[in-house]
Amino acid sequence: MAEMSPTVHEPSPGAFEPLMGHQRAQVLSRPSLSYWQDAWIRLKANRRALISLNIVIGLILFTVAGPWLWPVDPAAQDLDQISQPPGADRTATLVERYQPWDGTSVLPMANGLRLAAPPTTQAVRLLWDPMPGASGYRVYRNIFPIGPADALGLPLAETFSADDTRFEDRLDLQPQTYYYTVVALDEAGDQTPARQTLDVDVTRVITVADARQRGLIEPGADARPGDAVKLALHPLGTDYLGRDMLARLMYGARVSLFIGIAAPFMFVLFGVIYGSTAGFIGGRVDQALMRFADFVIALPFLLFMILFKIAFGIGPGESGILPMVVALVLLLWPGTARLVRGQILQVREEGYVNAARLLGARTGYLVMRHMIPNTMGVILVTLTFAVPSAIFTEAFLSFIGMGVAPPTPSWGSMCNEGLKTMLTYPHELIFPAALISITVLAFNLLGDGLRDALDAKMRSRE
Amino acid sequence: MTAPLLQVDDLRVEFDTYGGTVQAVRGISFRVDAGETLAIVGESGCGKSVTVQSLMGLTPMPPGRITSGSARLRGHEILGRTTIDGRDIRGREIGMIFQDPMTSLNPTMSIGDQIAETLEVHRGWSHKRALARAVELLDMARIPEAARRAKQYPFEFSGGMLQRAMIAMSIACEPAILIADEPTTALDVTIQAQVLDLMGDLQRDTGMAIVLITHDLGVVARMADEVVVMYAGQVAEQGTVDDVFYRSSHPYTLGLRAAMPSNDPAPAGAGEPKHRLVPIEGSPPDLFHPPKGCAYAARCPYAMKVCSEQDPAPHFQTEQHFARCWLHHPTAPRVPELFQQQRAEAGA
Amino acid sequence: MWHYTARRLLQGVITVWFIATATFLAMHNVPGDPLSSDKAVTAEIRANLEAKYGLDKPMTTQYLIYMGNLLKGDFGISFTQKNREVNDIIREHFPVSATLGILAIVFAGLGGVLWGALTALYRNRLPDIVIMFLVILGISVPSFVFAALGQLTLVNINDLLGFSVLPVAGWGTIWHMLVPSLVLGLSTMAYLTRLMRSSMLEIVSSDYVRTAKAKGLPPSRIFTRHQLRNAILPVVTVLGPSIAAITTGGFVVELVFAIPGLGRYFVQAVQQLDYTVIMGTTVFYGAFLVLMVILVDLLYGLIDPRVRLE
Repeated sequence: MAEMSPTVHEPSPGAFEPLMGHQRAQVLSRPSLSYWQDAWIRLKANRRALISLNIVIGLILFTVAGPWLWPVDPAAQDLDQISQPPGADRTATLVERYQPWDGTSVLPMANGLRLAAPPTTQAVRLLWDPMPGASGYRVYRNIFPIGPADALGLPLAETFSADDTRFEDRLDLQPQTYYYTVVALDEAGDQTPARQTLDVDVTRVITVADARQRGLIEPGADARPGDAVKLALHPLGTDYLGRDMLARLMYGARVSLFIGIAAPFMFVLFGVIYGSTAGFIGGRVDQALMRFADFVIALPFLLFMILFKIAFGIGPGESGILPMVVALVLLLWPGTARLVRGQILQVREEGYVNAARLLGARTGYLVMRHMIPNTMGVILVTLTFAVPSAIFTEAFLSFIGMGVAPPTPSWGSMCNEGLKTMLTYPHELIFPAALISITVLAFNLLGDGLRDALDAKMRSRE
Repeated sequence: MTAPLLQVDDLRVEFDTYGGTVQAVRGISFRVDAGETLAIVGESGCGKSVTVQSLMGLTPMPPGRITSGSARLRGHEILGRTTIDGRDIRGREIGMIFQDPMTSLNPTMSIGDQIAETLEVHRGWSHKRALARAVELLDMARIPEAARRAKQYPFEFSGGMLQRAMIAMSIACEPAILIADEPTTALDVTIQAQVLDLMGDLQRDTGMAIVLITHDLGVVARMADEVVVMYAGQVAEQGTVDDVFYRSSHPYTLGLRAAMPSNDPAPAGAGEPKHRLVPIEGSPPDLFHPPKGCAYAARCPYAMKVCSEQDPAPHFQTEQHFARCWLHHPTAPRVPELFQQQRAEAGA
Repeated sequence: MWHYTARRLLQGVITVWFIATATFLAMHNVPGDPLSSDKAVTAEIRANLEAKYGLDKPMTTQYLIYMGNLLKGDFGISFTQKNREVNDIIREHFPVSATLGILAIVFAGLGGVLWGALTALYRNRLPDIVIMFLVILGISVPSFVFAALGQLTLVNINDLLGFSVLPVAGWGTIWHMLVPSLVLGLSTMAYLTRLMRSSMLEIVSSDYVRTAKAKGLPPSRIFTRHQLRNAILPVVTVLGPSIAAITTGGFVVELVFAIPGLGRYFVQAVQQLDYTVIMGTTVFYGAFLVLMVILVDLLYGLIDPRVRLE
């Protein structure tokens, strides 16, 4: 049991003077923090939450300031650039205005299916030799090489004379490789095995007048056919209608974030009012109010979102954003109401509220000083988690075609459109899907961080 | 001389928290012998629970860390081990009960199963045999209708009954030591007495040692043979229960006694005619940065200059009784309260 | 327990009544006349329908007719498909959706409990970090993206191997069900994993686990007997809402994988404004979900003794 600290020196006699009051150093010197200060410090310490907060701020900037920095009409179609992935070559060669074809060839003569002029997005001019026994021809165009499966692609035209051996394709040409097939037809108009195939690499062209009009040529600058110009820039490419993806994503963000933020704000607000009313009044009123909330919770959510959508009726030219917000508010408030009511009931029974009441505090004071600060954390966290779920709902409904009406872009409807071209142009699906995911992720992580920072219980842990 | 049942020497435990390292236990030593009750007294946060939980390996590591010291059970080191000589320490050699019986039992498992479990694990008994023994144990713990009660779940028990069931569980394997960490704090006063009596009776029957953690001096007076008064992770005073109560030689012990309600007509210590409860002003030091002098100096009414500069060494009154206080230094001024009983006894 | 069950069932019936009323009111507000849509309805059919549903009568009468039919279990006849009863449609398509949903909830529940327990055991170590990263992905990526990716992966795997390992779309065999139900259960699985993890971590530091340690039980026994069972409780409480989420999530999966379920049929009916089908499906789904929530609550009572004896 014997123990001696090794560093004890014999103290000097003067050391045994009693200490005066002021000499007693109070050891507890760490500053005390208010609830919100402490929460903010804890949130700042949470790296994931902080990154998420920055992402959320960035998204809001993207939505608000984006269209101002990138003033491109999200509905404008750039027909020269359809479904272009980001970073695609956007040079085009200047050409004269379209001249009808007289059937002559400017290229050296050859045999079989051949081009009569350099293939451009303005026109592809094909010539072929008459095939023996043919009484007509059918021309196909495919975007894939003709394999053994006999898939020839899109039938473009038919001729009904064996001598009519030319065809001009002006249908929606894109700068890519096309596989043309000419099939001979018999007298009955049925296909015969005789056919000829040609691969054509189409170059992108634009008329001088068009280019000038669109501002692709400096005003007053000299430009003549054969010169190369750069087409309009689409940093994130274009969609299947040639609309600028970046501009659409920004406008889509407006829709998605507006629904994602406005609806939660409104239903949380309503839920807070409803729940605190029930919690305050208590008794029969509380019972009745909460029973009604239970009913609303029991409604199958997505089915009723759809029902409300058709019940509100979206007229022509309307986007359907407002009905969706209203439907979200109508269906989602009870969760918050329940939570707030529970919180109010709990706080109401707390010792400090009773103490304040005994000291003569009035209801208004109790609400402002005790109830609201003590439920604020829970409400804030609910709000943060409500945002991603509202964004999800919008995306989900738009995806199954029950959301905002086209042509209004929203991330969900863009995903829906992108799904159709997923295999050939994945960027049309990837960009909106990634934005939804990042937004939802950021709000979820921020919510986690907030919950940890605001939960007083968490303070004593770790 | 044979090795004591349990001997703890210079135990130090630290915790890493996000605010820094807390030195929760700063050099604790004590010993317990069979059939004896040692009480560790002190206010919340003084490190008494951490001390015993470290012995049982129950402090989470990390963030906890035992930085030095030893604890020997019959001469065998137990710190950082789970068995000695192939026998489990926890549950078999040392049983333990906790402060809040309402949360210390598994809510989804019947009481009987929870008691039987210990026997199944340590003795390898069949479930049936263990369950039969569990009923006997509950009966020993004075739970009426033990057979029926064994099938019930914790939420069907009252707090006092749960604590008795906890005791039944902890002594199922007849441990050499029972550690009781504030066993009565969460209970009604009337129930407290029942639980303490039960512990005392079981000790008499089995000869086990009890290490009792409490902040209630009434419980100490009732149960303890030896007392360790802890303050800020250190032993302030240690001695037999009579030494500590009637010959208190540390100002903190005096403070605790003055703060204790009592129906003793002539309270010892305070020289006031009426027994007024006197609180100890201030709060314990910040163990993130323990003071370099005596930890109690900031609250001590007799503090001297040396107290805030140098940590006092233990000053032994008798071989078993010491206090860590500069007032016992030969050159220190005499504080009458600390010495009056000794003088009174010497005179008597 | 019987008393509790009876009370829950009564509450359920009232809830279903509320759902039916809300459905009626919502559909009654749909602009236009149910019969004036662009689909030509012959005068004869029109007269029949008007008579059957009292469409020319005031709203209260219509409501009473509607509720009366519901009580008889009659959801009516499709407006767009001749002589097809809504009951038949539900009977035909609901089992498909239910099978898909049950498989998905089994995936989600088992996966959630397993992964959640695993992450808690390996807290802050590699398995935890990897699984929690996937969980965050699962919560943040919309289900339709998973559905599209799932299908794409199937297409690629089948292409790569040169034969069909699993069918890419359609319905019929167990092989058709695997990928769609996995995709459908994915986000719920992620959610349950998170819940299970935090529940496990809370219990790891609980008093009764400390007691179990003090009793000297081996870690495996503490894990199975004391942690797991208690940690599953909160997971079971959210199973009810999860079933609702999975049922509605089925819409997208049914669309993408071309599965002839009730969800896909509902979307179709909405596009065609097929009143009776919309109303019948909504009420049916609502009743189904109410029943599921009650069943989950009763199941919870079996696991947690505190509820069982109330």
